[in-house]
Amino acid sequence: MADTMKLSHINTPPAQTWNYLHINDVSFDVPVAEEHGAAFNRLPRIFDGIECGLGDEACGWIVASSAEARYIEVPAHTRRDEPIVIDIVAENGTVADTGVCVREGAEATIVVAVSATLARDALSAALTRVLVERNAVLHVVEIVAAGGAYRHIEGLGIDAAAGARVDVSQYFLGGARVAAGMAANLAGDGATFELACRYLVGAGELLDINHVVRARGRDTREDMIVSGMLSDGASKTLRETIDLIHGAKGSQGNEAETVLLAGENIRNKTLPVILCDEDDVAGNHGATIGAISPEQLAYLSDRGLGPDEAAALFMRSIFDDALIHAPEPVSAAAVALRAETVLGAEVSRDSLETLDIDFFKEV
Amino acid sequence: MARTQVQDINQSLYDFVMPEVGAERYADGLTPDIVRAISKKKHEPAWMLEMRLQALELYQSMEMAPNWGASIEGLNMDHISTYVAPNAKRTNSWDDVPDEIKETFERLGIPEAERETLAGVGAQYDSEIVYHNMRESVADQGVIYTTIEDALTDPELEPIVHKYFGKLLPMIEHKFSALHYAVWSGSSFVYVPAGVTLPFPLQSYFRLNAQGAGQFEHTLIIVEEGGNLHFIEGCSAPKYNVANLHAGAVEIFVGDGAHMRYSTIENWSKNMFNLNTKRSTVGKDAHMEWVSGSFGSHVSYLYPSTILAGDNSDCEFTGITFAGATQDLDTGCKVTMNGKNTNASINTKSISKDGGINTFRSSVIIGPHAENARASVSCQSLMLDDMSRSDTIPAMDVRCASASVGHEATIGRISDDTVFYLMSRGCSEGEARTMVVNGFANPISKELPMEYAVEMNNLIKLEMEGAIG
Amino acid sequence: MADTLLKVAGLSAGAGDKAILHGIDLAIDAGETHVLMGPNGAGKSTLGHVIMGDPTFEVTDGSILFNGADITEKSPTDRSLAGMFLSYQAPVEVPGLPLYTFLRTICQMRPELKTTARKFRDEVGALADELDLDQGLIMRELNVGFSGGEKKKIEMLQLLLLKPKLAILDETDSGLDVDALSIVSKGIEAYRQRCDGSLLVITHNTRILERLDVDRTHVMVKGHLVAEGSASLIHEIDAHGFEHYEHALESEG
Repeated sequence: MADTMKLSHINTPPAQTWNYLHINDVSFDVPVAEEHGAAFNRLPRIFDGIECGLGDEACGWIVASSAEARYIEVPAHTRRDEPIVIDIVAENGTVADTGVCVREGAEATIVVAVSATLARDALSAALTRVLVERNAVLHVVEIVAAGGAYRHIEGLGIDAAAGARVDVSQYFLGGARVAAGMAANLAGDGATFELACRYLVGAGELLDINHVVRARGRDTREDMIVSGMLSDGASKTLRETIDLIHGAKGSQGNEAETVLLAGENIRNKTLPVILCDEDDVAGNHGATIGAISPEQLAYLSDRGLGPDEAAALFMRSIFDDALIHAPEPVSAAAVALRAETVLGAEVSRDSLETLDIDFFKEV
Repeated sequence: MARTQVQDINQSLYDFVMPEVGAERYADGLTPDIVRAISKKKHEPAWMLEMRLQALELYQSMEMAPNWGASIEGLNMDHISTYVAPNAKRTNSWDDVPDEIKETFERLGIPEAERETLAGVGAQYDSEIVYHNMRESVADQGVIYTTIEDALTDPELEPIVHKYFGKLLPMIEHKFSALHYAVWSGSSFVYVPAGVTLPFPLQSYFRLNAQGAGQFEHTLIIVEEGGNLHFIEGCSAPKYNVANLHAGAVEIFVGDGAHMRYSTIENWSKNMFNLNTKRSTVGKDAHMEWVSGSFGSHVSYLYPSTILAGDNSDCEFTGITFAGATQDLDTGCKVTMNGKNTNASINTKSISKDGGINTFRSSVIIGPHAENARASVSCQSLMLDDMSRSDTIPAMDVRCASASVGHEATIGRISDDTVFYLMSRGCSEGEARTMVVNGFANPISKELPMEYAVEMNNLIKLEMEGAIG
Repeated sequence: MADTLLKVAGLSAGAGDKAILHGIDLAIDAGETHVLMGPNGAGKSTLGHVIMGDPTFEVTDGSILFNGADITEKSPTDRSLAGMFLSYQAPVEVPGLPLYTFLRTICQMRPELKTTARKFRDEVGALADELDLDQGLIMRELNVGFSGGEKKKIEMLQLLLLKPKLAILDETDSGLDVDALSIVSKGIEAYRQRCDGSLLVITHNTRILERLDVDRTHVMVKGHLVAEGSASLIHEIDAHGFEHYEHALESEG
């Protein structure tokens, strides 16, 4: 049985605030990383400089704890149709350290899927760092759908050069304690970044997110939309930071968050931050937190859906959205499996059929 | 050269120094003996002295948070005198106020304002109140407007002070509230009886004249059920090359159904460290408004905070912060919503130029039983050049499912189209920019009493001229 | 012989890398009404803005003379005070700036318009009535939340208050309903009568021209002035559109 240690300052945002709010970080108890031999397979040094939102402490632990780092290169001007899949089976306590280089003008998709079939307590982690070179295109889909007593630490770090286009879709569908950090460095002129994050936090679950976008290049675009739902007993912290750095002239950043409070005993913490020391930029953020609006409830009621059904509808929409965006079988299966537990087998199967998800169809 | 001239004009209204003739000045630094001396001079009851000593110990054991906030490098308490008393006895007639001090307040327009538009005035010069007066009509209604020091020696008022003093702002809040409770001096104690509405505002003006000194005034306001008060706080100090410190405190108790408005234009000089704490607790069906304009200080920590304790209570916060060269202003507000059906509306604007740093920092906390709480936060920041900083750090903590919170923030600069449009009607570029900035500040200036709105527009105009010149 | 008020000679201009205007020659005498027409995207609006001195555009060749003085390098402020007025297609909003404060300020900075507050209030009130503008608008923030028609009327109000020597009206008729169009037309007429000012009306449809006494018509296609003629040119365009000008330009180029 390995010794445990505490990672105390995971997910600290670039600008912190009053400590009594307990919103500056989250902690995790993790097994102490075993010593590795000299032949320990690490990523090329260049990945060390890529911020991932989790913070140095957590990143360092993941690198030290992963059995072997995996490096994938997507050659220049090629389009890699087959997604790079990082498959985390939660009950195995996997810790994955992956580095990807998407060379100039290339296009690739990365999928991180965290799922669980057995009901156990385990800790898994995935750190994915990506270099996106000039005019390359990167799609990332992260699905964390463990549930039960599982705990997971998820890190994503992206470095985008001039003209790079990056989009990230994140779905947090379950887990007793999940910390997710994401940092995108838009270093080159004209780089663009889009993030769509959806989550569902259930009874007794804790979801802690830290999104950071650094706009360094000129004329960059960064858009982050986060939308989620908290059920009874859910606990969630979201930190979104857009950092408009001196020199990023012409850049525009937007953050929008919507939280649906759909239960009792919820704890919702939000810290949407804009940091700015450049005048020729535009930064906006908006957050809406609350229950389903009376207007929406009235409309749905006119269509035969009472308040409970309305909540269930919103919940289902998160899974459906995840299914639509799951680009390959492993991620789709992770969503479907989790949907079965949360929505019930019938609804889950119905989604698969309605959305025509054919990964599992009998050949 | 032109820039220096403008700076002179800018500050000349405030930037004058009166000699410290005949004043009593305690040694720099902070020791239990200094604290005892302050307490003895004021003939305080034993409980107050004990509180001071407790606070001193706490101050010495506390640290500033290392992970957030403007740097207070340059503030060395060993070089600050915590008590400087002018050679003047408190009076309610300007004729009895020593000439230099009276002249100070005349230049700032206080006696005139009092005659025209105020119900009462308290004027503090360095560490003591030198003038305190209230219209008879207001006194006749049972309104009490005096100093805490005086109230403590009045057998009827002392129990009231004892009941409320320090209860809303605990000394343990942060390092500089502990300091405040150790060396506080000069104050306002306002008591509005049930159902009384003051026809005009009360104003306290704090003038810090002594170099390398601190001002630690304590304002305690109690508005009983159904009462209605507008309190204005003004402050200024001449510019020195050494640090001055302002660590004041304001505690406001708003009774059920009562209405309270607290307006401030803060124009401390650019060597001032302004670490101020203001808090209000609001009863059932009661209403609290804050209007705040921050233009001065080298470093500011200022977050007026409201606790909506009673059901159906609400609060509004309207503020503007202008950070120019050498300024690092960390301002904002806090709201805690505990009652049912409460409402909070926060509207702030910030302007940064010439390397100024502006941080908007807020927190909205909605407790688990704050059913139907409604909060909206809006923060707009204007960057006037690419040398300055503007950060927005709003935190929200919601624990009640029926709460509803909306938040929006924008950062940007004056658009070229707007400048061209105004120039194409004959305005110079400088005038065009000033118009836009004044327009930007308009929602705040609308909330201020007329003279303050004018003062604010002037301050903006002068700041803008400095930029272009 | 009337004096030449505005003389644009060989004017070329662009924004960033894009060249928009090519060798424009245009002369407007005092008291004249000129019309500039052309298809969408021809550069007509740009010409209006460049004459006014919009820093978004850079003059790469040629000159602009106003009242005999070379204003090619002058700021928009100077051009405005010299007697030039540009009415906007989409007037800019300035939050927090009451319209009245704005109007008062821009009038007070012109010695010939300085007057007492009372007289000014009366004048503005009278103009507002004439233009069928709600008096309440005068106190509201400049253009914030105003309808398209209201914004255009405010532009007319400024035109009549400032009494410029030359008024450049940029697509003033676009987006207006019949009533608003009629008021704007009346405003233009009133300007002509009271100030005997010169007008450069920029438009791509001819409705607004029906009530104007046009002295000269110019046609612009792709940043080139391709035709100039009398008022009859307008009818020709009404009948045949701009197609043959566009074709002619293409075959030349």
